[in-house]
Amino acid sequence: METPQSSYIPIIIQAVFAAGFVATMLGLSHLVGPKRKSQIKDENFECGIKSYGNARIPFSVKYFLIAILFVLFDVEVIFLYPWAVNFKVLGIIGLYKMLLFMGLLLVGFFYIIKKGALEWE
Amino acid sequence: MTLLNIFADPHISINHYIAVSAMLFTIGVFGVLFRRNAITIFMCIELMLNSVNLLLVAFSTYHHDNSGQVFVFFIMAVAAAEVAVGLAILVTIFRNLHTIDIDELKNLKN
Amino acid sequence: MRALTYTSFLGIACLVLEIFNLRKIVVPVVVIALLAILGINFTEWNGSSVSFYNDMLRADNFALAFTGLLIVTAAGLVAMSGSFYDTEETKLADYISVIVFTLCGGIALVSFSNMAMLFIGLEVLSISLYILAGSKRRDIRSNEAAMKYFLMGSFASGILLFGITLVYGATGSFNLAQIALYASGPGVDPIFVVGVIMILIAMLFKVSAVPFHFWAPDVYEGSPSLTTAMMATLSKVAAMAAFYRLFSVSFVNNFSGFAWILSVVAALTMLVGNLTALNQDSFKRMLAFSGIAHAGYMLLAIMSLYQNTANALFFYTVAYTFASLGAFAIGISVMKRRKSEKIEAFNGLGKSNPFQAVALTVFMLSMAGIPPLAGFFAKYYVFFEAIKTQHLAVVIVAVITSAISVYYYFKLILAMWTKDSEETDAPAGAISYIAIAAICLIVTLALGILPSLVPSINQVASK
Repeated sequence: METPQSSYIPIIIQAVFAAGFVATMLGLSHLVGPKRKSQIKDENFECGIKSYGNARIPFSVKYFLIAILFVLFDVEVIFLYPWAVNFKVLGIIGLYKMLLFMGLLLVGFFYIIKKGALEWE
Repeated sequence: MTLLNIFADPHISINHYIAVSAMLFTIGVFGVLFRRNAITIFMCIELMLNSVNLLLVAFSTYHHDNSGQVFVFFIMAVAAAEVAVGLAILVTIFRNLHTIDIDELKNLKN
Repeated sequence: MRALTYTSFLGIACLVLEIFNLRKIVVPVVVIALLAILGINFTEWNGSSVSFYNDMLRADNFALAFTGLLIVTAAGLVAMSGSFYDTEETKLADYISVIVFTLCGGIALVSFSNMAMLFIGLEVLSISLYILAGSKRRDIRSNEAAMKYFLMGSFASGILLFGITLVYGATGSFNLAQIALYASGPGVDPIFVVGVIMILIAMLFKVSAVPFHFWAPDVYEGSPSLTTAMMATLSKVAAMAAFYRLFSVSFVNNFSGFAWILSVVAALTMLVGNLTALNQDSFKRMLAFSGIAHAGYMLLAIMSLYQNTANALFFYTVAYTFASLGAFAIGISVMKRRKSEKIEAFNGLGKSNPFQAVALTVFMLSMAGIPPLAGFFAKYYVFFEAIKTQHLAVVIVAVITSAISVYYYFKLILAMWTKDSEETDAPAGAISYIAIAAICLIVTLALGILPSLVPSINQVASK
């Protein structure tokens, strides 16, 4: 855990550079860019159609459902990492176990398809 | 170089990690106890779990033992499942009550 | 520990049945499969206490006995779910698979020998219960119960995890035997003690002991009744067994300080649970407080840890589970018919359905600890263990509070037998409720007459 100080210098430089780049660019565009204000210019632009209503209305639950399912299936993949690192040591048994795991995930996947969770309309 | 000394103290011990994790955990606990917005509470619970993850990884390195890191995988997977269920509950509440303030949850006695 | 594997596959099989539109057969299939798994489970009885998966699980008699109890409870719940969810047939297979997954969590909880399995078991159990608690989506009370349960449950999980991590930091292992080795050695690190205290707090949360009980009544009241039955029986028993297992294996050597904390908690739990139950007019809420009080009695067994207490705890959980499950079976049937959860809904049950009234009376008396029912011997054994370990003061509190508890159990009994109901023609209710109640009645009576029917699980402590 003990590291000489010097090895942190690149990280510091990188951090300073990244922060500086963002600040400079934002500042530059603010200073250099043209500014013109009018009622029409400040309006939200939505494909040329006049916007109406409030943006903070309850959105369709479909988005939510798919986002949640994405999170679940995405996170389960982290169990592939330990196997991917060690698959030579784990050998064929490890492969079978991983296939079983993926098979169980697949059952879940078919289940949500059957339940209609992925139907967009 | 003197300024860098704070960042690159060569003697970071396990105690520093315990302190940071304990602080994060405490922030999470206080958030859960005193915040009223359900989403904020969810985030505070995640903060508690992630402080645990940080500490587990630190201990894992400290003991030269991989099982701590494997445990972190379990926590991450379980936390994802947990938050999925929690958000689903939150959505049903929002549909019925049109609020996510947990103080509005007083339809049960007391 | 084949039971855990098979149960997990049974849960998956429910989903497969749902995929192939076979939800008509799901209830009988799952009940039969659970009974088969119960048989398989007991083939390992008195075995050589084998460990599985790098000592993640250990199939000793303690694990097998509690696994058996949990499987029976789950089979009863699944059998009732067919008629309980009769209005939501399209979701029946989902509910049943979630019940089976809850059982998986419970089995992991009673047979773990590694902190990872403790955590995963607890989470599988809790997450499934969050889903079930909120399963009445249109009902705001169910939503609220699910939310409260979720917040309290995940908060407790966070505390548990931090405790496990600190213990890991001190010992360098998640294995219970390794932790026990460290704990019995000289010079225990302070962070170990802090870790154990945090684990203790989290477990007290999960078993709803005072002062961490406040979520339980609301959650019990708002959840669908079948889920309430599940929380009162399956989840409570699993958490209590996990609590016992953890402390009896890992922390038994430096237990004296914790025993003192636990005795105070147990006394408070019994007092608050029983006293608050006195003025409840909702059936589910009354059983919630009664469940809190029973958690206090079970804590007596954990507090007086040594050789025989596992037997006392197991007997108590068996007696409590069957009385509670039976009470809920009849309660659900009555509440569904009368569309009310008040105790007044039970008025006149003695005239309209004598069998149900008799059974419910027996369950209430058993919970109150009236001889010669199972609940009496349960309390007797637990008190006996506590006296043997010099916890006389707590036992006195326990005896007084169980005398108090007779009052509110009798409130229900009097409502059934002495009061009249305006509703005269009550149909008997679905057959599954009656069957489960009858089975629970037989067990409660049989254990009262022959308490030795419950097997001894003495070989537990083998390392």
